[in-house]
Amino acid sequence: MSTQEHSNQAQQPNNDHASTKNNADNSTHFGFKTVDKSEKASMVAGVFHSVAKQYDIMNDLMSFGVHRLWKRFTIDASGVRPGNKVLDLAGGTGDLTAKFSKLVGKEGKVILADINSSMLNVGRDKLRDKGLVQNIEYVQANAEYLPFEDNTFDIITIAFGLRNVTDKDKALASMYRVLKPGGRLLVLEFSKPEHELLNKAYDFYSFNILPKMGELVAKDGDSYQYLAESIRMHPDQETLKAMMDNVGFEQTSYHNLTGGVVALHKGYKF
Amino acid sequence: MTENLSNSLGNNTYQNKIAEQLMLKQALALVLEKIINKALSLNINDNTDLNALHNKCFTIVLAELNFPLCFSVYQQQILVNSVADNSDCTIVTSLKTLKDFQKNQQLTELIKQDKLDINGDLKLAQQFANIAQNLTIDWQSELAKHIGDIATYKFSRVAKVLTDKLTFFKNQVQADSSEYIVHEQKLVVTKNQLDNFYQQVKQVSVQTNTLMQRLDALAKK
Repeated sequence: MSTQEHSNQAQQPNNDHASTKNNADNSTHFGFKTVDKSEKASMVAGVFHSVAKQYDIMNDLMSFGVHRLWKRFTIDASGVRPGNKVLDLAGGTGDLTAKFSKLVGKEGKVILADINSSMLNVGRDKLRDKGLVQNIEYVQANAEYLPFEDNTFDIITIAFGLRNVTDKDKALASMYRVLKPGGRLLVLEFSKPEHELLNKAYDFYSFNILPKMGELVAKDGDSYQYLAESIRMHPDQETLKAMMDNVGFEQTSYHNLTGGVVALHKGYKF
Repeated sequence: MTENLSNSLGNNTYQNKIAEQLMLKQALALVLEKIINKALSLNINDNTDLNALHNKCFTIVLAELNFPLCFSVYQQQILVNSVADNSDCTIVTSLKTLKDFQKNQQLTELIKQDKLDINGDLKLAQQFANIAQNLTIDWQSELAKHIGDIATYKFSRVAKVLTDKLTFFKNQVQADSSEYIVHEQKLVVTKNQLDNFYQQVKQVSVQTNTLMQRLDALAKK
């Protein structure tokens, strides 16, 4: 186990260094690989086209069902009220949208947006099967170029999606633009565990068990290897908070969940 | 009671932090929501009462928990969460008192005793309580769907025999206890009576010794 952990850690490029370098030479990272920025979106799309149909079952298996609690925490923290207009960005199979749809009621509206058509189709079918139709709209959209007018939404959520975005700063700025003054952004994303022991256990699980689980259930170990790598390359709690501050969000804060395996960042537009 | 609410929500910061990390609020809300909606879907009476509560939010703050539980109605489902921002009716009480909540006549008494505090529309709380009272589930039919009619019939018979025996045992224990309290307890020697008896025996013993000494003295003469 120890040898494997060291080898995994050795594979990981320095995150901060990678970001600086990426900004300079128009390259970015796809997991631990460095790729051209123009290629990343299609490579991520390939991953999600591949896993879309097994996405929900894999989420339950990989997180032992805890992703449901992380999402509930996000909804509790959103302060959503009847009549609100909510954008569930990178909404995938629509877990958050389903809940928001009930909470905003007939007067409100939820837009489920995802860059990936396969994920959007799975989400739309799932929500329609649940009878949730009256206040939900589906939009295929890139988080960096949101196709909405300025000051449109009361709440924007992006759950486990930001790390797949090519230019995170541009995406955050785009979200800021479409939020109404007084609106809030909630970013639920994998992050850095607070305790070293948990970090090591999490590393072992992510790089040794998770890809095998993906291979076994979704018949796609590579996509889940990418998932583990992309989590390690995602900015840690403080860095993401600073990125939100930089694009203009105010009163930014974050809550670590499950020892920092996941963090919920929150910021307001005033 | 309002102080109780703020205390129950504000105390034990460390415990709150752990509870937040483990997302206990969300876990409880998730489990409750699943159970309630499953029970509603199995209810043999119709759930039309829910229509009157559409988009209404009823909150319970229990002394045993340090967070509120908010129940809101969406179509024929009840949503449970742990944020009470838009509550139409909030009751602050304890689990023990909650059992008496269905009895209308006790509400005033409970409020007087400071065991219950209600903010908002009391009628709403009663409507939610009525939904709980209106729940009737045909467990035999539900079980038969999973294990078959014959197995369900046998299981029900065994369950009935066991229930009858337990009820008989419970009644017997209650009757024996009552008999003991009413009749037997009166016959049992109390500690005072026993102490008194020991004292009297001691006195008789002293008097006997004195008498023996006098008899010995008379015999020597």
